[in-house]
Amino acid sequence: MTRFLLRRLLLAVPTLLGVSAVVFATVALVPGDPVTAFLGPGAPAEARQALAERIGLDRPLPVRYLDWLGHALTGDLGTSTSTQRPVAALLLPALGQTLTLTAAAFALVLLGGVLLGTLGALRPHGWTKRLSGAAATLAVSAPQYSVALLLTAVFAVHWRLLPAGGTHDAFGAGGAGDLLRHLVLPATAAALVPLGLTAKVHRAALSTVLGSELADGLRARGLGRAAVLRHCAHNASPALLTIGGLQLAYLLEGVVFVETLYAWPGLGRLLYDALTARDLPLVQGGVLLVATAFVGVNLLVDAAHAAIDPRVRS
Amino acid sequence: MVTIRHPRTALAATAALLPVLLALAAPLLAPADPDAGHLADRLLDPGAPGHPLGTDGQGRDLLSRLLWAARPSLTAGLLPVAVAALAGALIGITAALTGRATEQALLRTLDVLYAFPGVLLAIAVATLLTPGLGATVLALSVVLTPAVARVAFTETRRIRTAEYLEAATVSGATRTTLVLRQVLPVVAPVVLVYASSLVGLAIVYAAGLSFLGLGVPPPTPEWGAMLDELRPALFTHPWLAALPALVILAVSVAFNALGETLRGRLGEGTEAPR
Repeated sequence: MTRFLLRRLLLAVPTLLGVSAVVFATVALVPGDPVTAFLGPGAPAEARQALAERIGLDRPLPVRYLDWLGHALTGDLGTSTSTQRPVAALLLPALGQTLTLTAAAFALVLLGGVLLGTLGALRPHGWTKRLSGAAATLAVSAPQYSVALLLTAVFAVHWRLLPAGGTHDAFGAGGAGDLLRHLVLPATAAALVPLGLTAKVHRAALSTVLGSELADGLRARGLGRAAVLRHCAHNASPALLTIGGLQLAYLLEGVVFVETLYAWPGLGRLLYDALTARDLPLVQGGVLLVATAFVGVNLLVDAAHAAIDPRVRS
Repeated sequence: MVTIRHPRTALAATAALLPVLLALAAPLLAPADPDAGHLADRLLDPGAPGHPLGTDGQGRDLLSRLLWAARPSLTAGLLPVAVAALAGALIGITAALTGRATEQALLRTLDVLYAFPGVLLAIAVATLLTPGLGATVLALSVVLTPAVARVAFTETRRIRTAEYLEAATVSGATRTTLVLRQVLPVVAPVVLVYASSLVGLAIVYAAGLSFLGLGVPPPTPEWGAMLDELRPALFTHPWLAALPALVILAVSVAFNALGETLRGRLGEGTEAPR
C-alpha cells in the first residue's frame, strides 16, 4: 500500500511540473511587450532597458521559469496588476469560498447521482430505467451557465423565492440558514453535469451486480429486496468512488461560470475578473492553484480506491 | 417504403442535424440584419411585432442573431472535434506501435494535458491568442486531443498482438501498409464514435469561452457572447436573457443523445471522462 502511494506521488511530480510549465508559458508567451505596455511606445531606450532588468525580462525563458517556480513553491505568486495586492492574499480567501460551494454541490452530486442511478438499476426493462436514463442525459448536457441563468430567471426573478447572488443578505440575520439559502441555486447549477455522470456510472455498476450470481445467491437464501440491494450497493461502491472523485475535480473547474453568474466571491469569480482586467499574474496563480487541487484530488481518489480494492495496488 | 431500423438513432440524428441546417439557412430564415439595431426597439419581449423572439439591449432582432450565431458556435464545436479525432488517432496509434521511449514520452505529455481541468486549459490556451474563432478552435483541439489519443492508444494496444497483424508483417507488409490496411479499419470506427460523443461538450466549452470574452469578438453574434450581452437584462427581462441559454442547452442535449445512441450501437461501455 505504502509503495503504491509513493509511486503515485512520484508520478504526480512530473505532471505538476508540466502543469506549472504550461501555466508559466501562458503568461510568458502572451502577445504584446510588457515594457511597452508600462512605459508607452515613445519611451527612451535606457528607461526600457532599466525596467526590463528590474522585472527580470532580460533573462532567458528557462531561467525565468525556474525563478517563478521557486517563488511559487514558497507561496509567492507575484502581485496582481489590477489590484496591486499579492496574488496569494487574493487567492486564499477565495479558495475557502470555492470549497464551501464545491462541498454543497458535491453533496447534491452524491445524493442525486445515487438516487437516480439506483432508480435506473432496480428494474432492467421498466419505465423507471428509461426515465432515469433520460434525466441523466439531460443533466450531463446541461451547461452550468445555461442552468444558472435559467434557475435565476425562474426562482430568483420570476418567483422571488431565492436570492440571485452573493453569499449573505446585506441586511438580515445572517448565519448558516442565510448561507444555505444563497447556496441552493449556485450549488444546483454546478452539480447537474457531474450528477448525471455519477447516475450513469452508478446505474451501470449496480445493474451488473444485481444481475450477477452474487445477487442470485442472496435472493436464493431468502433475503428481501432491500437487503439484496444493500449488499449489491456495497459491491458497486468502488465505481461510485472513482466517478465521484473525478466529479469533485470537475466541480473545482466548473465554478468559473457559476461563481461569475451568482457573484460568489470564490476562485472562479476571481479568475473571471482577472481575465476581464487582463490581470495575468492573477490568472496564472488562479489556474495554477485550481490545477494543483485537481491533481491532488485525483491522487486522493487513487489512494482511497487502493484502500478499498486491493486489486488496484498491483 | 423505407423502414427505419434504428428509430432512436434516427431521431437523435435529426435533432442534431436541425441546428446545422438552420445555421446553413440563416440568410434565408433570418427576418432582419443580425447586426442592425434600432435603439427605439430595445429589449422587446418575445412576440413583439416583427421580432418573434424579441430584441436585445441594442434593439437587434434576437431570432436573426440566434440563427446567424449558429454558424460560429457550431463551427467552434465541430471543427475542434474533427482536429482532435485526426491528431488523437495519429498520436494514439504512434504511441502504441513504436518503441517504449516514444510511447512513454507521448503518454507522459498526454498525462500533463489530461491533468489540466478542461475549461482552465482552454482558458490558458485562448489567452495566448488573439480572441476569435481560430483561438477557440485551437484551444478546444488541445483540450480534446488527449482523450481521443487515449482511446486510440488503448484500442491499438488491444489488437497489437493479434494474429492477423503478425500474418501481415510476416507476409512482408510495410509499417505504413500495416497501419492503413490493418490497424486503421479497426481503430477508426471506435475513435469516430468516441469523437461524436465529444461534440456536445465542445459546443458547450466553445460558448463558455465566448461568454468569458475569449471567443468571437463583438458584434458578431455567437451563442456564448449573446449570453453575456443579455446578462444585464436578466432582472428586468428574464425570458430574453434565458433564450441563448435554452438554445445552447437544446443543441447540447441533441448532440449528446446522438453520441450516446451511436456509442450504444457500437457496444462500447466507455463513458466520457468529463
